[in-house]
Amino acid sequence: MKRFQRTLALVLCGSMLNLSMLQSAHAAMVSTEEVARLAVTSAPDSGHARLAAVLARDNVRGEMERLGIDPASAQERVAALTDEEAANLADQIDKAPAGGIIEAILFVFFVLLVTDILGFTKVFPFTRSVR
Amino acid sequence: MLTTLIRPLRALRRALPAALCALLLAACATPLQPVALAPGAPTRAELVETPFFSDASHFCGPAALATSLSAVGLATTPAQLVGQVFLPGREGTLQIEMLSGARRQGAVAMVIPGTLAALKQEIDAGHPVVVLQNLGLSWAPSWHYAVVVGYDLERELLLLRSGPMRRQEMTLRTFGHTWQRSGYWAFVALPPGRLPASVAEPDATRALVAFERNAKPAAAVTAYRAALQRWPHNATLAMGLGNALYANGDLPAAAQVFRDAATTHRLAAAYNNLARILLQQGRAAEAKQAAEDGLALAGPLRATLLDTLRDIEVARPSGS
Repeated sequence: MKRFQRTLALVLCGSMLNLSMLQSAHAAMVSTEEVARLAVTSAPDSGHARLAAVLARDNVRGEMERLGIDPASAQERVAALTDEEAANLADQIDKAPAGGIIEAILFVFFVLLVTDILGFTKVFPFTRSVR
Repeated sequence: MLTTLIRPLRALRRALPAALCALLLAACATPLQPVALAPGAPTRAELVETPFFSDASHFCGPAALATSLSAVGLATTPAQLVGQVFLPGREGTLQIEMLSGARRQGAVAMVIPGTLAALKQEIDAGHPVVVLQNLGLSWAPSWHYAVVVGYDLERELLLLRSGPMRRQEMTLRTFGHTWQRSGYWAFVALPPGRLPASVAEPDATRALVAFERNAKPAAAVTAYRAALQRWPHNATLAMGLGNALYANGDLPAAAQVFRDAATTHRLAAAYNNLARILLQQGRAAEAKQAAEDGLALAGPLRATLLDTLRDIEVARPSGS
């Protein structure tokens, strides 16, 4: 129960922080990110767009946790993204190329072996292309 | 009835060999444009000092990133980067996080054009290039990050730090096929103040704006200054320099940059930020003038400039 209360308090704090950021984004200096965005779209910085940006970040953070990142790291990783990057990731975190795995699927083993030898692919370290 | 069926079949039989031939020919051609060599230009080069971090599992992302960062003086190890860029559920590293991961180590990561000429230019400038390859097929992908550290155009080879291989020689043709499947994606990570030789202005601008977001203000100032030397007329870079100087607490220099940007580029954002600084410096009358000039051009920033004007009015007793 105590743990639940603590989590609830954290979530509420987080959302209040987001809200205050939404309101203050109007004031003071125009950020470079905003200037870059205006150079492309010239759409006004509506509350709607800012809300979408906040939601995209939240979305990416949740997805990262689902994919095995601990909450604190996920928070830091999302903070390192621009709004544009966060929006892109929110759309494609499950589909975008993730470099890292040599998926030596047995099903296509022979296809890949042949294409390796022809020099179209390079899955297996031991193959030497024909030319 | 039967003849209507047979006619298209016949046509198909005639077209099929031609289609197969075309497919084979397309597969044989290298997707890479050859480099037009200037007379006397080197035909091979290798950055032999580039460090190597062997990887035989899923960590080619952290390994490639650590290789490229360590090569330019930002010493890191793959182990330090895994927690920042590796995504366990995808058993790999996403392109966007390769760039943001580089930034978290204090580097500016810029996507460069996907051409052999660009790779050569970077190697000649001493910059290793991180590339994304699909070593498999489009329908059976094996996404992989490697670092290009050299080329030998006479033997038609590229030299890579790749996975468990310290020095992989790959033919240009095979490299071309594997790189084509990633959309020729490549980037160069460098400390702030240095720029990739081949980078295009929009890619550099995007990378710098992203860098400023989490960088130390002084590092952002250095990075923007270097880019403005190459592209002095870029309004976004000028705004970035102003904002970075402001964040660094150098109000007079920031005001000067915004003033210049306001007059050269007629940018409402520059007038707004200039007005904010003048207000902070207690120069309310000048601030009001700047904000009004900005409001005249405001467009989408109208609400922001009205806010600024209101703050100036509050700070300044009426009639003074």
